[in-house]
Amino acid sequence: MKDLKILAIISILVIITYIGIEPFAKHEMHGTVPPPDYNYLDLPKKELTGNPEQGKVLFKQNCASCHSVQADGISATMDKQTAQLSFKVVPPDLSNIASIIEPHFFAAFVKDPQSATKFPKFAMPGMSYLTDEQIGHIYSYLKSVAKPQEKLTGKDILHDACTRCHSVKYQKIKAQTDPKYLNDYLGKVPPDLSLMGKAKEEEYLATFISNPQVMLPGTSMPRLGLKQESAEKVIAYLDNIADPHKEERNKLGLWVLGYLVVLAGLTYAWKRKIWSNLH
Amino acid sequence: MKFIDWLDERLAIRQLMKVMLLEYYVPKNINFLWSFGVLIMLVLIILIVSGIFLLMYYKPDANLAFDSVNKTIMMDVEFGWLFRHVHAVGASIMFLVLFIHMGRGIYYGSFKPPRELVWLTGYFLFILMAATAFTGYLLPWGQMSYWAAQTITTLFEKIPVIGPDLVIWIRGNYIVADATLTRFFALHVVFLPLLLIFVTVVHLYAVRIVGSNNEDGIEIPKEEKKKKGIPFWPVFMSKEFFVMSVFLIFFFWLVFYKFDFAMDPINFTPANYLQTPPHIYPEWYFLAFYEVLRGFFFSQNLGLIAFVLSMLLPMFLPWIDKSPIKSGNHRPLFKIAFWIFVLDFIFLTVLGKLPPTGLYGWLGFVGSLVFFAFFIALPIISRIERKELERGGNKQ
Repeated sequence: MKDLKILAIISILVIITYIGIEPFAKHEMHGTVPPPDYNYLDLPKKELTGNPEQGKVLFKQNCASCHSVQADGISATMDKQTAQLSFKVVPPDLSNIASIIEPHFFAAFVKDPQSATKFPKFAMPGMSYLTDEQIGHIYSYLKSVAKPQEKLTGKDILHDACTRCHSVKYQKIKAQTDPKYLNDYLGKVPPDLSLMGKAKEEEYLATFISNPQVMLPGTSMPRLGLKQESAEKVIAYLDNIADPHKEERNKLGLWVLGYLVVLAGLTYAWKRKIWSNLH
Repeated sequence: MKFIDWLDERLAIRQLMKVMLLEYYVPKNINFLWSFGVLIMLVLIILIVSGIFLLMYYKPDANLAFDSVNKTIMMDVEFGWLFRHVHAVGASIMFLVLFIHMGRGIYYGSFKPPRELVWLTGYFLFILMAATAFTGYLLPWGQMSYWAAQTITTLFEKIPVIGPDLVIWIRGNYIVADATLTRFFALHVVFLPLLLIFVTVVHLYAVRIVGSNNEDGIEIPKEEKKKKGIPFWPVFMSKEFFVMSVFLIFFFWLVFYKFDFAMDPINFTPANYLQTPPHIYPEWYFLAFYEVLRGFFFSQNLGLIAFVLSMLLPMFLPWIDKSPIKSGNHRPLFKIAFWIFVLDFIFLTVLGKLPPTGLYGWLGFVGSLVFFAFFIALPIISRIERKELERGGNKQ
């Protein structure tokens, strides 16, 4: 009985210390993470409709000098190296973009990328001369070639949304842009994402991806306008590659703990036997 | 049978077993706090074994260290993750069991004559363990590894005359760099463990000579030890094995399901000497001492002196607390002081992780003063108790 009382006192002290140095201290240091904003409420909400045929024509006229749409056999006029030299970053292929980002973000972004991304140095020039109708056509064209969101994996989305600047070296994914240009463009080489799932909590990543400036004011990370599903898939993918043995760990843990419970039973029986002869 | 005789003739193995186990008596009036010595041995063995396996894949090079830990060991090697989690959780839990073991020693007066050397060797082991943990924490070469090492080594700069040169000598460079990593590696895997094992042997030998203390702190005369005690083997150890298996359930639950507390998220970003993390703090087991350092926020020098004192003062307990009564069970005043000290230690540990600004700065100062108040109170309490005992003695 006395031993149990001592154990209880120790447990209470340990739990108080744990709460103090983990949840409480973390809260004091990092504050509460605000919820992510996947609706991009600061941008005007718009339904984008149009004609894909017309959109394709408009795309070729306005976008294809830098952007390719491999899904539809359109390649960019400018090769990667030239683009990299002029913009300090490789322009993305837009095959799946319409399934990845929010339509009203797309509309605002095309006209004024710098304010939509909240990154004043964003490389793409604004196409403010395009009308809403024209943007609607282009969007519906991109929508018509894109794989549906359900068919895109976290890795696909990561490839389209993140790896122009970020490497994931443990997955052998290299940033599409040469780091030396990225350094000029962003002021530093963006962090590798191999362990990001462990370095940051899910809530942090969600809010950071949906609105980088909220979590890290002044950061060079642009807001990308990802749909909630896209962001969640990317985060799940990052978690998964950062902790690839999670399933194995959880399963093995049960066996080990089960074994130890049996061991505790046996050692208790042995102790009883030895001590019963004692008095 | 024959082989045992053969051994016995050459190594006196029977005599050794008698002295060490079969006729080494442990008092009956002890509680399970006396199990923690064995638990420390268990954790030490776990650390050494898991450490040897980690050593097979770890690369002590500033360019390779981070990936060898986080990629090779954590992802590629079969069960590498298990050995790393066991080692990291083991290091943390080592300090938990150490603190409890030392707290028991303080409460029941196990540092008092004739056990001064048990306390001194034990305290030396604590310092060695702290050095081992500190050098080991640099090895994954993450951001927190790097900046914790950078911050703590900077402290030496304040030592008069030799300080600045000493810091460079410790780091092997002007900042923490590859040279620091390789020398910390050498200390962590060779020098400190060797010393730890050697001092552990001396510590255990000293306990065999003076015997365990007990709840009442009343020594059992040699002749009565057999009657009033239980033999170490098998009686005491049979209970120990049960305690160990329950402890292992807790330990492996942490390893599999709750290892995050021993793995700071910031340390999953590789060390970068150009980018200081917003919050730098040591692992939890150093937080209380770290808070004493920061507690004197108005003077760095004073903080540093306080920090050194807080690490060294407990070592001199046998000469600070000279009360003739050993066990805290029979010392009402001491009991109060002890529990204030324990709560203050937890208070300092929590504060050590919080940003040292505003109110937290002042609370840290108060907490540090309370920490030292314990060591000032002990001689006073001892004197009061001595006087009371003399008066009580006259009455009887």
